[in-house]
Amino acid sequence: MAMSSSKPARKGKKLKNNRLGYAMLVPATLLISLISLYPLLNGIYLSMFDYNLMRPKKRRFVGAGNFIEILTKDSEFYSTLAYSFIYAFFVVLISYIMGLCFALLLNREIKGRGIFRMLILIPWVIPSVVAATNWMWLLNDQLGFINRTLTGMGLIGKPILFLAEATTARVTVIFTGAWKSFPFMMITLLAGLQGISKDLYESAQMDGAGFFRSFYYITMPMLKPVTTISTVLMFIWTFNNFENIYLLTRGGPVDATFVLPILSYYTAFLRSNIGYASAIASIMLVVLMILAMLYMKLLKNRETYS
Amino acid sequence: MAANASSWNPKPNRKKILLDILTYAALVIIIFCVDLPFISMFGTALKGRSEALSSPALFPAEWKFDSFGQVLTGTTFGNNIFNSAVVAVTVTVCCIMFAVCAGYAISRFRGVVFNFYSVFVLLLQMFPGTLMMIPLFVIFKNLNMVDTLYSVMFAYTTLNLPFSIWMTKGFFDTIPIDIEEAAQIDGCNQFSGFLRVVLPISMPGISTVGIFTFINAWGEYTLASIFLRSDSIGTLTIGLQKFVLQYTSDWPALMAASCIATIPTLIFLLVAQKYLIQGMSAGAVKG
Repeated sequence: MAMSSSKPARKGKKLKNNRLGYAMLVPATLLISLISLYPLLNGIYLSMFDYNLMRPKKRRFVGAGNFIEILTKDSEFYSTLAYSFIYAFFVVLISYIMGLCFALLLNREIKGRGIFRMLILIPWVIPSVVAATNWMWLLNDQLGFINRTLTGMGLIGKPILFLAEATTARVTVIFTGAWKSFPFMMITLLAGLQGISKDLYESAQMDGAGFFRSFYYITMPMLKPVTTISTVLMFIWTFNNFENIYLLTRGGPVDATFVLPILSYYTAFLRSNIGYASAIASIMLVVLMILAMLYMKLLKNRETYS
Repeated sequence: MAANASSWNPKPNRKKILLDILTYAALVIIIFCVDLPFISMFGTALKGRSEALSSPALFPAEWKFDSFGQVLTGTTFGNNIFNSAVVAVTVTVCCIMFAVCAGYAISRFRGVVFNFYSVFVLLLQMFPGTLMMIPLFVIFKNLNMVDTLYSVMFAYTTLNLPFSIWMTKGFFDTIPIDIEEAAQIDGCNQFSGFLRVVLPISMPGISTVGIFTFINAWGEYTLASIFLRSDSIGTLTIGLQKFVLQYTSDWPALMAASCIATIPTLIFLLVAQKYLIQGMSAGAVKG
């Protein structure tokens, strides 16, 4: 998301031919309204219906019925909601820690920085289907590299069932999720680090501050704006993400790794219950809107800063 | 300069060298762990089927390329790759065209519509995909577009637009408006000034947008799994998933297919690393 708000040099010096401006917005607006906005509003509309694809003729309006059922009767929804939050929270936390460590390492002036940076970006660019297949192979009970190595070294007696046991699967998908998204964190934090003036560190050093003190008193406060924005943004993306978990566990074992997008997907395309699935997704929308508002507020604060 | 410094101030320099060595060691170890899935993918793809099941080593004793041949000739995977290439290229071209126009408009024109538009576009990419997926499926079904590549082409172009518009807007913001005014004095109208003067300068930014879009469209799975249901029309992610379910024990073949699916994104990463990083960090840092 490139967003540049600082253009004081050209203040008030914008082009006047607004008709051309409107015309240039037309193609994008057309597509967005037809394929994003209309389906979105339609989804909210459908959430008020009892609508099953198996018997489309029997569609009937139930108002808030679906929502009441989800919020009062559906225990599957609440367990899924809880895990969705846990999943997104830990993915963001682990990505942040990993991203910060890498960014600090790469912020040192060493040769071959570009190559290291590229190697770190690999998890982020490879297609999620490929990532999931690779993890399935590495984490395989009998043949996987990790289990074979660990048993070979005598560290574990029997193979770890990474994806077949409820608790381990929940932890595993958090780690693979963080693995896929931490490069983004690293890049943004690295850019943030590079924006910190070297003079600050030098004067701190002269005052006798060691690495940890200057990290705590200079690096962390200076990174705060980048940190807040990129963590909120990544939380939203992770909360919305369907593929990372689905491709690895399909939401299983049983439904241990269900998150809201998977629950809504299954409700719609397996149980064909379009209305109920839309209601689940609408509740997600509310959660995300709150987060999005937080994000916008953080962005605004930044703008007034600079 | 470092050699010079060591002659009269040896202590900090030795410390620096030690820190450098530690940094390299840490980077190499962590990068090995981070790229392990990726390394094992190439290693396994080059193994024979029996070796993959018996030997725990990452790389084979002898490189065999049979699995690649098997995947490309013995299955429909070649077809899937072709579909993905068609989709990704079309989506990239369309997305760039529309995003460049909209981004320019938001960057250059004043008024409520343009201000509102940028916020709207920013919010749009935070909406849950699942919420629009369901009605979109119903719409495409009514238009008889399910099971055609057009469905994913339309969907990917649109879903990539908000991000691309933001990026292009950011790049246009950095180009001084005086350049266009000069062009207008030389007899260009505003639109031809945009085409002949602004676009050529912003090529780096535009190619970043293109790369992002291409990588996204090439590797997208969720929508493809809903819209493309018959075998012949599947994109590469669909083909790969089908593989996973069908050839559960033929890991070398699976990994060979994964390698083939990864190569284009790697090439893009190599060529465009710099732009990619600029683009990624632009949002959170430039603010």
